[in-house]
Amino acid sequence: MNLNIAWLYPKQMSTYGDRGNIITLVKRCRWRNIDVNIDEIDLGDKIDSKKYDLYFFGGGQDRSQIKVSEDLQKIKRGDLVRAADEDAVFLSICGGYQLLGHYYQPSHGNKLEGVGILDVVTRASNTRMIGNLVIKANKDFIRNKFNPLTLVGFENHSGKTYLGKKASPLGLVEKGFGNNGEDKTEGAVQRNVFGCYLHGPLLPKNPHFADLLIKTALSKRFGDVELKNLKDSEELLAHDAAIQRSRSV
Amino acid sequence: MFAKTITAITAAKTVRLFLRIFGGGATAAPGLIAERIDPTILSRLTFRLPKKVIITGTNGKTTTSRILSTILSFNGIKTIHNREGSNLTRGIVSTLIEKSNLLASSEADIGVFEVDEATLPEAVSKINPDVIVINNLFRDQLDRYGEVDKIYKRWSEVLVGLPSNTTIILNSDDPSVAELGNSTKAKTLYFGIEDEKMSLLRLPHASDFISCLSCGYELKFDHIYLSHLGKYLCNNCGLKRPKPTYFAHSIKFLGSEGSVAKINTPQGRFDISAQIPGLYNLYNIIAAVTAAISLGIKVENIEKSLRDYKSAFGRAEKLEINGKSIFVFLAKNPTGFNEVIRTVFWDKERKNVFLIINDLIADGTDVSWLWDVDFELLKHKVDQVWVSGLRAADMSLRLKYADIAVDSSNVNEDIEESLEQALKKLKTGETLYIFPTYTALLNLQKILRSKKVTGAFWEN
Repeated sequence: MNLNIAWLYPKQMSTYGDRGNIITLVKRCRWRNIDVNIDEIDLGDKIDSKKYDLYFFGGGQDRSQIKVSEDLQKIKRGDLVRAADEDAVFLSICGGYQLLGHYYQPSHGNKLEGVGILDVVTRASNTRMIGNLVIKANKDFIRNKFNPLTLVGFENHSGKTYLGKKASPLGLVEKGFGNNGEDKTEGAVQRNVFGCYLHGPLLPKNPHFADLLIKTALSKRFGDVELKNLKDSEELLAHDAAIQRSRSV
Repeated sequence: MFAKTITAITAAKTVRLFLRIFGGGATAAPGLIAERIDPTILSRLTFRLPKKVIITGTNGKTTTSRILSTILSFNGIKTIHNREGSNLTRGIVSTLIEKSNLLASSEADIGVFEVDEATLPEAVSKINPDVIVINNLFRDQLDRYGEVDKIYKRWSEVLVGLPSNTTIILNSDDPSVAELGNSTKAKTLYFGIEDEKMSLLRLPHASDFISCLSCGYELKFDHIYLSHLGKYLCNNCGLKRPKPTYFAHSIKFLGSEGSVAKINTPQGRFDISAQIPGLYNLYNIIAAVTAAISLGIKVENIEKSLRDYKSAFGRAEKLEINGKSIFVFLAKNPTGFNEVIRTVFWDKERKNVFLIINDLIADGTDVSWLWDVDFELLKHKVDQVWVSGLRAADMSLRLKYADIAVDSSNVNEDIEESLEQALKKLKTGETLYIFPTYTALLNLQKILRSKKVTGAFWEN
């Protein structure tokens, strides 16, 4: 069994330790003897939408986001839409999340067009939403056992994201701001496309979510796979420590 | 003299005395109070100083300013320097008040001020420096600074407005810092490294300025010295690294103990045998040397004074405790940590390691950055590992995913207990390499002091 991962813009869009998500996907597959292949897809590169089971798209700075938005429109958008239609799994964080939506509207200047595979829009605001973030996962997207029910991380964004009808929230905020600091929602999910503001990075401290992504991504080619249980004591300790820290700060 | 200024100085001196009696460090509070009473206090305190130097950058500010003030003091120049590590304006005010009389004048000839990256605009407008040194710019404490780009923008706004009698000393190897020299009237001097052997094979993941700041095209690096520092050029618009006239070359690492190198300057060449290790410290040395030369110090006197230099607290400092050695290396952001790893694990020998990660405001409350550090390089190079601090769980998780197993009994949030445990496990003559974040370093200093272990720096 093998998993093909496309890492979108690793140079431009990976400022907050987002690489940890890739490391986690790789390790958790290899510990189960699942081969992993990762292709780094940069500015100017074309995407073979047939090739990948899972796409990862991290967060970046405003300057990078402008270039990436242009590149998406020019070169990659069609293939990414096709991949999403064919049920490939997407995990997008922060800037990547915003750009999988319809658009990002900065406070000055033109809209940055997104890929539109998440029914969300994002507008710049004057509040920087920074801090530990704890959410209770939305049960609708959980297909198997999912324990604990919380997802933890750290958010750092000033864009406010609002969900349209086709997207459901990834979860409800227990501590922190989430999508916009107003409606208590955090993240979005639409078919197999996931987006959220959870850095931390997200997957190391939320191994149950990492496994959900791996299982879903494999199921397209290999059917309903059963993932071997891993001993996740360090992961869950870090998960709990993040919840603790969110209460004390 | 304003009555307000005298009141501010008196109040600050009183607070300082009070804090010292009760065992506090008194590096920031007196300055904070003085600034509240007289917002112009920093300008008033620095107005009569004959020369003023500001040093900033993500990494190496403390070490560079300490080296510079060591060189100046060795040459008989009276310096005033915020050496205790508080690098916001309040910290500088505290230092100045401590060394000044009630009329805001001191006997110093030169002020050497280490300044926080985000504080540079305010510090420059109030201090009106003769020399500004900028070391580098890396991702650091993004929860506090927002983006590295924001710091870059603030810096360029400051430098554009400088008069032509200011000297700015810039790192030629950092594309973001070197670029600052292109739009200023100030006199610009570039320092850097010219040593192909030191080049890394590829850009580390935690490299920030890898695109041309002028046209946005991806930069080509012929040599990569650390993070995005190196010999670069833009194949699209032709921008390239300015040639440094002050540079280190023929570098040889001596592990944690130091390194040797040759230094070239327009005023002459000399060899150094640095007691502070790592390529990052050679950048600090050459930056300080450039500043010293620009202040009129003779090359041969610089060479002599460098022989004397000892590490700042926690920056590669070696201490002895009950027949065991400890080496402390502050590690507070991805590039800093990567370079410390490269330096300490230069040789093949396996080492005992103690990592202490806190997430308080001064550390950055977001510990995501641990995943931008290349801990994978430590695999097969560590012997025993202990992990501590408020985010011990995050650190041990990071190591697990770098294939470095940490015994769960070696993970303990309590720093003192963890240190005791590690030292007990160590055999006589063995060394423990400690990597703390900033507030963890302060905790460690306190613990060591209670054990009557003190370094050279602590007395001053």
